[in-house]
Amino acid sequence: MKKTLRKRHRREKYFKGLGFASLCLALLFLGTIFGKIIITGVPAFFKTEVLAKAVPSDFLNPHAQYAFDGEKKWVTASDEVNMYYKNDETGNLTPEQLKTIQLLEAHDQIRLAFNGAFLTHSDSREPEVAGIWGGLLGSLLTLIVTFLTAFPLGIGAAVYLEEFAPKNRLVHLIEANINNLAAVPSILFGLLGLVAFIHFMGFPRPSALVGGLTLGLMSLPVIVVTTRASLAAVPYALKEAAMGLGAMPLQVLFHHVIPAALPGIVTGIILSLARALGETAPLLMIGMVAFIATPPSSFLDPTTVLPVQIFNWSRSPEMGFVENTSGAILVLLFVLVLLNSIAITIRKKFESQYAL
Amino acid sequence: MPFKIDVKNLSLFYGDKQALFKVSLGLPKLQTTALIGPSGCGKSSFLRCLNRMNDSVPNIHIDGKVLLDGKDIYAPSVDVVELRSHVGMIFQKPNPFPRSIYENVAYGPRIHKLFKNKSALDEIVQTSLTRAGLWEEIKDRLHQPATRLSGGQQQRLCIARAIAVSPEVILMDEPSSALDPIATAKIEELIDELREKFTIVIVTHNLQQAARVSQKTAFFHSGHIVEVGETGELFTMPKDERTQGYITGRYG
Repeated sequence: MKKTLRKRHRREKYFKGLGFASLCLALLFLGTIFGKIIITGVPAFFKTEVLAKAVPSDFLNPHAQYAFDGEKKWVTASDEVNMYYKNDETGNLTPEQLKTIQLLEAHDQIRLAFNGAFLTHSDSREPEVAGIWGGLLGSLLTLIVTFLTAFPLGIGAAVYLEEFAPKNRLVHLIEANINNLAAVPSILFGLLGLVAFIHFMGFPRPSALVGGLTLGLMSLPVIVVTTRASLAAVPYALKEAAMGLGAMPLQVLFHHVIPAALPGIVTGIILSLARALGETAPLLMIGMVAFIATPPSSFLDPTTVLPVQIFNWSRSPEMGFVENTSGAILVLLFVLVLLNSIAITIRKKFESQYAL
Repeated sequence: MPFKIDVKNLSLFYGDKQALFKVSLGLPKLQTTALIGPSGCGKSSFLRCLNRMNDSVPNIHIDGKVLLDGKDIYAPSVDVVELRSHVGMIFQKPNPFPRSIYENVAYGPRIHKLFKNKSALDEIVQTSLTRAGLWEEIKDRLHQPATRLSGGQQQRLCIARAIAVSPEVILMDEPSSALDPIATAKIEELIDELREKFTIVIVTHNLQQAARVSQKTAFFHSGHIVEVGETGELFTMPKDERTQGYITGRYG
């Protein structure tokens, strides 16, 4: 007995250690990825500037004229100058050009400055002036459309299925299929969006409207499933209490069931919106992969979204896009963390209000 | 003695399974009737038929008549919502809404629009809480969450909530089975007081409780009423041997 007891204790310890080790390993991977992204991405928020005499119309291309006198301005340096100054990467610079840069350095005519343009500019072929504003705005417009489609349809379907639908075979079939839809690869929803919204309804191709509707379709099953789960978790005693007082079914629903289920519903919606925000594949399918240099001004304008822009940048040959890609990932992660913390805050708030 | 509720030949089926077999029982006005019997005998099902709480159960089928003041509550013209405002119900586990004490009591009057202005509502809330014997204990914290009350207080709050819509009948489904002896004693005292204004039907597992609070007792056994009579008589001189077995504790 004593012998086996020691063995059993040892086994327990061993198992705990194993779990701890796997947790550490996961954290290590996560730390490595985030560390790499942050180290690569933070320089994207800084740009190299040169004090140079520049003709205003030509300021995008400053390395043409590095004047050392006359009226001078701080102008954004080209990608190659930027890379050399930041990372000592020579790239395609000729020895003469390198000498010029060293001369500029000697005269204090080159510096690192905060790159506000990274947040306020839209996409560009030149990495030094490319920014994420177009993608960010596009993501926002797309997300608005997604929310407006998925929220009412999802909640409506879930409430009907959970509270009012008769329990027959057809309804069971629909329920099973909604659960399956939640696991369908997102690119298939892209295909559906392509056929339904572009070919059949003829909406303009890479617009926030089509993207949002497609992502809305994608989020719908997840919202239905999470909403139903939170509605089902409302204690039957609560409904009984209201029914016993003579409340109508709709009153029971709106006065008691939905308020009690709200934390779960809201969390489900925000999490599925966060997923839609990070989604790329279905948007590639409906043609949002195009290079778009002007920020959208309406839901019908050609639009790109942040993850798609990251995808595009990651395929660009210019060295400057490497740090831009990581910088954009940082912004995307920041927005996702923001959405998740809103979800947690709302959950906490409603939970304390409706503590059962 | 006129019956407030008169049940005639009530049969109840859950799908193929019959739970009540042509049960007939009269519930005298302004008296407490206790329904006793072993688990699964149909007493709770019977109680739930009296305000049609069974309606939402799937595959249920009901035959027979339940007459409230002579009118059949299962007639097509009867509105369930109106019926339930006349026949209130208290459940086994206290189930206050997760809102303030005040809002709990005010909920019934609000949905039925039983008051003209705020002060009238305040009055309904105060009278109901007073009648449920809770006013003195909680008058200073009316706007605190009801879920912070103790189990016994919650159950009395549920009673206050039920009487706030001024029903004529109150159905109680084992109202004190989840409470401690002191809270139970308070509920029993309350039932005795409420009898002045309301007709009460109580399902209970606690035979002493049935003996203490009721004037009439019906003994249920596997879907039939075996014996019904004045409480004192039924407990001291049961006619049927199954009743005798149950009240003497030979089975339960």
